[in-house]
Amino acid sequence: MREYEYNAPDSFEHLFKLTGGAGAEVRFLAGGTDLMPRISAERDQIPYDKKTPMRIIYLGALGLDKVTDGDGVTIGALCTLSSLLGNEIVRSKLPALAEAIAEMAGLSIRNTATIGGNIMNASPAADSVPSLLVLGAEAVLRSPSGDRKVALSEFFAGPGKTAAKPDEVLVAVNVKPGAGGAAFKKIGRRKAETLSVVSAAAYVEVKDGAVAVARIAVGSAAPTVVRCLEAEKALIGKKISDDAIKEASALVSKSISPIDDIRSTAWYRAKVAPTLVARALAAAAERKGPAKSDEPVKSEAAGFLGRVFGKKGA
Amino acid sequence: MSKILKFNLNGNPTEVKSGDADTLLEALRDGLGLTSPKCGCNRGDCGSCTVILNGDAVKSCTVLALTIEGKSVWTVDGLIDGDKLHPIQKAFHEYGAPQCGYCTPGMVNAAVAFVNHNPSPTEEEVKDALSGNLCRCGGYKKYVEAVMAAVKGEFGPLPKGCDK
Repeated sequence: MREYEYNAPDSFEHLFKLTGGAGAEVRFLAGGTDLMPRISAERDQIPYDKKTPMRIIYLGALGLDKVTDGDGVTIGALCTLSSLLGNEIVRSKLPALAEAIAEMAGLSIRNTATIGGNIMNASPAADSVPSLLVLGAEAVLRSPSGDRKVALSEFFAGPGKTAAKPDEVLVAVNVKPGAGGAAFKKIGRRKAETLSVVSAAAYVEVKDGAVAVARIAVGSAAPTVVRCLEAEKALIGKKISDDAIKEASALVSKSISPIDDIRSTAWYRAKVAPTLVARALAAAAERKGPAKSDEPVKSEAAGFLGRVFGKKGA
Repeated sequence: MSKILKFNLNGNPTEVKSGDADTLLEALRDGLGLTSPKCGCNRGDCGSCTVILNGDAVKSCTVLALTIEGKSVWTVDGLIDGDKLHPIQKAFHEYGAPQCGYCTPGMVNAAVAFVNHNPSPTEEEVKDALSGNLCRCGGYKKYVEAVMAAVKGEFGPLPKGCDK
């Protein structure tokens, strides 16, 4: 049976002493909603394989659970999904992210699951990622040699694989919402507690009546969440119309490589991805930039938030 | 390896020996013999292990036990006041919501944590709050009806928070 060693460092100095030690597989623990079931499954296996000990490093004592607004929005990696849904900065400045989070899992998972965990788990079905990608987010990784920033578009290498080195900890995500609007759409097998069959996010910035910046990301349709560059290019310089959106979203198929799995089929995903992108583009074009912080969120996100938080949050 | 975990359980300071990779569910069931949180899927899907951690409903099989040092946990066992049921428990009982009953403790905890935050929810909000709790008897409708009845005061005023 594998040995497990739990640590909860309250300083990075202490943390880096733990990551430096040899002879153990180091795993960072945030909310635990992905890692704990994996550990439990491993412990249930009979016969137990002889494996290297696992050093679990809990990141909850490092104060990484804050959202700050300065030159862009900085989201601490340990912010729970519920805390982000209730956060004024996220709701007013990043409605596309709030929209995505409101559709993730169910309330009791959102109460523990963190944004950093969703990113570092690097699932192609990670629902926070499409919105973060189209918002041009970057990951902040900390190691003994300092902080390193990696654009999220360069961050994912495959299912469960990221650009983070073994001694690097994701401490925050930086998001600089531009002047345009962004939106997120998802299709799952049921309304809650479901991984995406396909997800899509879009960001559209219109200048002088024509699209100046367009970013499109699709989840659950390739080994990582992917940007759809051809579709983005097709929109530049165009006036937003049903035809322009339809034409651009048809090009999404050039960027995705969906597979059959327990949740859906490659055929269905290829059919539904352009439709979802078209809906996300239309919603993004309508949204036009982050709402001012003194304005209530007047998007469909407000509906989700109302549903999730009732009078308290909405 | 194992360590001593100190936390507050149903209002009482509690200590339990817990393995370094044990879940909160294991600490409660195996460490403390508190069997009201059920182990259904052990992977964060079914919700039968739901408990109230620092006021919020969480799935205890996804929480590493040692991370809750110093925090407060409430289970159905603490929501009952002597022989007086919590209005949500009373409502589930009166409405015949439990069938086999396996999902019930998780449903109670999810519902109580939710109404503590949102004492006058809509039916849609209640459905969303209970969406992480699966009932294999398919008895979802009665649970939602019972919560709606409880928040309307049919079974007495809702206590504020978990502390009585």
